[in-house]
Order: sequence, then structure tokens, then C-alpha cells
Amino acid sequence: MRKVGAKLILTLLCLVLLRASALAGEVCLSVAASLKDVINELSDSFARQNVGIKFLKNYGGSGALARQIENGAPADIFISANLEWMDYLQNKRLMDSASIGIFTYNTLVFVGAADKKVGSMRDLPKLEKIAIGSPKSVPAGQYALEALKKAGIDKQLEKKLVMAKDVRECLMYAERAEVDGAFVYKTDAIQAKQAKILFVVPEDLYPQVTYPMGLTLTGAQNKDAEAFYKHLQGEDARAVLEKYGFPRK
Amino acid sequence: MNPSDYDAILLSAKVAIAATFFSLPIGFAVAYMMTYLKFRGKVLFEVIITLPLTLPPVVIGYFLLLLLGRRGWLGPLLESIGIRLIFTWKAAVIASAVVGFPLLVRSIRIGMESIDPHLIQASKTLGAPWYDTLFTVILPLSFRSIVAGSSLMFARSLGEFGATIIVAGNIPGVTQTIPLAIYEYVSSPTSETMAVSLCIVSIIMALSILFFHESLGMQLTKRR
Repeated sequence: MRKVGAKLILTLLCLVLLRASALAGEVCLSVAASLKDVINELSDSFARQNVGIKFLKNYGGSGALARQIENGAPADIFISANLEWMDYLQNKRLMDSASIGIFTYNTLVFVGAADKKVGSMRDLPKLEKIAIGSPKSVPAGQYALEALKKAGIDKQLEKKLVMAKDVRECLMYAERAEVDGAFVYKTDAIQAKQAKILFVVPEDLYPQVTYPMGLTLTGAQNKDAEAFYKHLQGEDARAVLEKYGFPRK
Repeated sequence: MNPSDYDAILLSAKVAIAATFFSLPIGFAVAYMMTYLKFRGKVLFEVIITLPLTLPPVVIGYFLLLLLGRRGWLGPLLESIGIRLIFTWKAAVIASAVVGFPLLVRSIRIGMESIDPHLIQASKTLGAPWYDTLFTVILPLSFRSIVAGSSLMFARSLGEFGATIIVAGNIPGVTQTIPLAIYEYVSSPTSETMAVSLCIVSIIMALSILFFHESLGMQLTKRR
């Protein structure tokens, strides 16, 4: 029994060591799902210019990402789709506070099939099923729910809201026409093939969609992560953001 | 716990009961075919019936979505007669039924195979037609295994996640079952304790069903 235990510990030790050596030249990104295309393009071009750097990219709802980082998931750079989850990690002392800055902004829109006669928030109660990101962990859903509350129709829609795990899933539901419409970001809506933007959610109904970015404490010690972080603040990043429809501010 | 948690528990029970109830007659018929009938392609049939047991539930969910979705193969047909399944609790029932079905069939089959063939032969030599043998010999003698299989399937349905989240969506109070509610809690940093209480509920439910199932199994082996 003791022998087995010793072997087990040895194996685990080996695994841990292997893991540590594999970390060299690796940059772990935890990024809001709505930035998937932007970050993919930026990290690909960066990896081409800097041979030997490997990116481990983790896209998802910002709340879910914050939860993972809080529980020790490897992450060097975190980009959230709202200020709340960045603040949350900052309060847990997991972020390098000095590095935190704003990456970009976005706008909330409502998408659906073009034949749906929906032109404003007031038309929403007529619909059967509406997809939003789960407000517990997806910022796009938090913004959407806030807008619904401000418009005073959140109670009427309560049983019609399909909770998606991130904003991309929301868009997928609308694309497949499984829902009548979905709240997504303008930049996601541009990617859609079937679904059309039915209306832009009035800006006075929700706080501005802001993407804060920052190095985690482990990321601040990773040279490659720092280099890529600089790249994210540079002119190349601006150009790619603009290409995907993010506002230049 | 939140009111929406109670909704999730009730809904899970409702979905699992419906899935088991509708699968029972079909499961019994399939088990009967596998045990007593000889036909071509039996192995293939068996593999297909058992497939959901080993297939990732997400794959099943995705196929159901392709099949039943609005732009799917069967979806437009169903829509034309006014049936919409995707993102309703009925879709959760279908997903659970497909995933749990092999467990039901396996259990019933084991029960049927343990019936002394002499009893069946005796009933046949006494001139009983097949349906008489079925209802007076096979059904009562495999009753316990039917209950055992149903309980196993019921437990599996309670926990069904992968296929359900794809076809039933995640609508609190409408299609959000216990696993989906837990998933939502788990992915949010601020509701850890909520997840734990629902986890405890689902552990208790699973444990009590499995104890019931095991005690049935003990009785079965004692009888033999």
C-alpha cells in the first residue's frame, strides 16, 4: 500500500514538474467571448512575429472566467466585458492593479429574423422566446436585463428568457432561429449570417459596455505576457478592433 | 434556496417522471425483442439501442437540435402541425428519454433473462398464445427488474445535463432543471453557496434512488 502511495506521489510530482517546464513561452488568456475574433487575430499575428510563444486561449462569459481565475485557473491576461468582474478579481488581490486599463467599448443590439416586426423595446413582449446571456455570469446578459428593467418589461418577459452561457451562444440561438431574437453586442451581430439587427438598445437604458483588461499577478511576472499586453495597447490592436466594428474611442 | 431552485427541483422531477413513463412501454418491448426474438441485424439493433450510453450527451443534444430545430430535418414538419419542442420542457423530456433508455432496457433484459425458460415453455405447451405468456408469466416475473430499470433511468434523467442544455435551453422556471441551475450558479463567482445547496439536494436524490435500486437488486438475487 505504501509503495503504491509513493509511486502515486512520484507520478504526480512528475506531472507538476512537466507542467512547470511547459509554461515557458506560454501566455494564458482569459477573454470575454465577444472578443474572440479580435484576440484570435492579434495573438496569431503576435505568435508569428515572436517564434516560441504559445497562446492558451480561454473564451467565455466574463463572470465564469473570473470564477475560474479565482479558483486558480492559469491566466496571465484577463479581459472582461464589464467593470464588475475585473473589480471582483481586483478585490480578491488577483490582478496587478497598476496594469489595468480599458481595452475597448461596445454597444448592445437586438437581433432576430428580418421578418419579425420588432423595432423597439416595446415590441418585445409580443415575442415567444428571447435569448440573453445568463445575467449571473455573462455581462451581455447583465446589460440586457438592466435595459429590460429600465424599460419596465422584465416581469412580462420573465418566462421567455433563454439563458445562454455566453454571448456567442446567444447569437447562435438567433442564427438557428430557435429564439425569436437575442440581445448581443453590435460586433457579434455584424458576424451574423441569418439574423439581422432589429434595433439598437437605447443607450440610456444600460451602462456603457466597457472592456477592462489587466495582467494577473502571475501574468505580471511573465515576460511574454507583458510583451503581448503592450501589443494589445498598440496601434495594431486598434486597427484590428476597428476591423471588427469596435468603436474607436 | 431561491424560489427558482424549488422550481428547478420540481421541474427535474417532472421531466424525469415523464421521460421514464413514456420510455417504459417501448423499453419493455425492446427488451422483449432482444431476449426472446431472433431476427437479422440483432447485434446492430443492440448497438444502436446502447449507443446513447457511451455517446457524449452533447452529441445527442446536437443531433436532437439538428432533427427537431426550426431549421432542422423534422422541425418544420412539426411546426406545421403546431408542435414546437426546442426550448420547451418537452425537449428536456426527449433528451432525458434518449439518454436514459439504454439503462432501462438493460435492466429489464437482465430480469427477463433470469426467468426460468421452463416456465415459459410450460405455458406454451399448455396452449397459451404469446400475449398470454407475456402478460401472465413474463411481465409478473420481470416486474422487479422493470421497477429497478425505471428507477435507474429516473435517476439518470434527474442528472441529465449535456443533451438537455442544448435542446431545452436554460429558462429559469420553464426548462431550468437542477443540473442547469447548478451550472449557472457554478459559472458565477458570487453564488457559490447557492450551488452547494442545490448540489446537496441532487446528491440526496441520487443516493436515495440508488439505495432503493440496490435493495431491489438484493431482493432479486435472493429470489433466485
